[in-house]
Amino acid sequence: MALLEARNLRKTYRLSKSNVVEALRGVDVTIDEGEMVAIMGPSGSGKSTLMHVLGLLHKADSNHGPAPELRFAGQDVTGLADNERTRIRATEMGFVFQAFNLVPTLTAAENVALAAEYAGTRGPAARAAAIEALGLVGLADRAQHRPSELSGGEQQRVAVARALINRPRLVIGDEPTGNLDSVRSAEVLGLLRGLNREHGHTFLIVTHDPEVGEACDRTIRMRDGVVVSDGREAARAVA
Amino acid sequence: MQLLRNLARRRLRTGLTVSGITIGIWALVVFSSMANKVDALVSGGSDYYAGKIVVSDGGFGGIGGQPMRLADLDALIAIDGVDVVVPTVAMIAQEIQGVSFGPPDQVWGTPVGADEGRETYNPPVATGRSLTADDEGTDVAVLGSSIAAKRNAGVGDTITLDGRNFEVVGVLEPTLSTPDVTIAVPFTTAQGLVHADLPAVVRDAVDAAQLATSFTVFPTDGVDHDALATTIEARLPGIEALTGDAYDQSVGSSVSVFNSIIVGIGLVSLIVGGLSVINTMAMSVAERTREIGIKRAIGARRRRVVRELVVEAGVIGTIGGLLGIAFGALVVVLVNEAGRSSGTVLFDLTPNTAIFALAFSTILGIVAGIVPAWSAARLDPVAALRYE
Repeated sequence: MALLEARNLRKTYRLSKSNVVEALRGVDVTIDEGEMVAIMGPSGSGKSTLMHVLGLLHKADSNHGPAPELRFAGQDVTGLADNERTRIRATEMGFVFQAFNLVPTLTAAENVALAAEYAGTRGPAARAAAIEALGLVGLADRAQHRPSELSGGEQQRVAVARALINRPRLVIGDEPTGNLDSVRSAEVLGLLRGLNREHGHTFLIVTHDPEVGEACDRTIRMRDGVVVSDGREAARAVA
Repeated sequence: MQLLRNLARRRLRTGLTVSGITIGIWALVVFSSMANKVDALVSGGSDYYAGKIVVSDGGFGGIGGQPMRLADLDALIAIDGVDVVVPTVAMIAQEIQGVSFGPPDQVWGTPVGADEGRETYNPPVATGRSLTADDEGTDVAVLGSSIAAKRNAGVGDTITLDGRNFEVVGVLEPTLSTPDVTIAVPFTTAQGLVHADLPAVVRDAVDAAQLATSFTVFPTDGVDHDALATTIEARLPGIEALTGDAYDQSVGSSVSVFNSIIVGIGLVSLIVGGLSVINTMAMSVAERTREIGIKRAIGARRRRVVRELVVEAGVIGTIGGLLGIAFGALVVVLVNEAGRSSGTVLFDLTPNTAIFALAFSTILGIVAGIVPAWSAARLDPVAALRYE
């Protein structure tokens, strides 16, 4: 079943009068429930922009070309207002960023609990869920540490725990292994792969790293704002 | 907890901002307390002058001019509309003068019962008793609260006035007004004191028993006070007749200007404090742009981001307010204590002033936090995440 269906996604950034970047020039993608998909492509290919639009952080342009269409879990989310998109991000999605992006003043457990609070879980329940999620990524013993007291790999595992705490339907990773050495990188990748297999989370990972691409079920390749190859047909053919 | 950690993140900056608010609230508390004291003084005067006309020989409150004659009483009582006339003898208590704020210390005497029950301004007695008609001819005194404190005298003690010993029979409750600095003695005794105090040339020409420095006129019900005052001034040349309304106008209006100025000073310092809260919060937002981006990306609503920052600014205001009130109260207490020995009570810190100051500083913090908080909530989460 399709979790995410996108048609005609366009996004143009007007950086200045003379500098207009057409980051997405009509992209169609479909992500099925339970899939682990990599989006790859060179810098400037539009893969990050695609991730922001699919992750409801940005809206697709609707003022030129065919009308864009974005459905998430069967719901039309194309033109939702900020509050609604924020609610879906909080409850149905999880985010893992390249730079970890933990709140420096909060402990690991508090960082993870924050996401639960945004999704509407109250204090003590959020804290309990945070400890559980940290256990899932093997960091239960580091719960009371601040990000500055954790290694890069540990920080990223905290971020993964934060992304998973609300049992989201979709986890979006933006270069989740980009700041890690190859050992830590393999660790985090193995963690994601395992979570996908054991818990059925759907993963959408933007990456430069061919190893991440290989570990995924399918790879969508982008160049100059369009999809140049989508493993979906190949995957279907094999099945 | 999280909030306090955020405030502690930049201790120096938070501390300076809190200090700014503290100084502003401190100034507001101290100046307002001073204004309260002036208000109490003026409203005391206002209460005293209500319902009567004070006739004196030009000196304010009957102090310092050429003495009138008790005989003037007959001329006053003969005027149409005059119901009761009470003579008063008052003099500035020379030997206990010092630097003081408000009315000078004075000795005061008036025949008990001469008002025929018309006097409504009777400061309550704290200890001992008030003067009675039987006290005439004896050297007894009822002290105002400041005088009692200054002279360290209570009921049963003896005080000295112009070389004469007086037994203290009563001490009044504090009024923050003229009675606090007044020594009340029997009328004839006061006449004797004033007479002895006159320059030799004048003294020989005047009989002590004929002395009066002012008269309190209680008009007949329904008589227009201003018109009566005009008539009195026409009949008795060289004297001044002051009505309650005239007092309120002349003193009340100048005092309200004075009060506006001192409260204004406090408010100006608060505006400066408020601007520093805006500055602090704007810097906090800039510094935390990335963090706000993370929170927005993982599902914090705009309202939540605004609330977090506004509450933080409000707490800065509240802490500053509490410290300001504490320091202000300290100054008020210390200065009043230091002044008490010389009978100078400079400040009156009322609960209303403290509540107003705290509410004001908190609201100031909140208002100052709104604009930076709102701009933070409007940030594009993606751009905020890239912010270095």
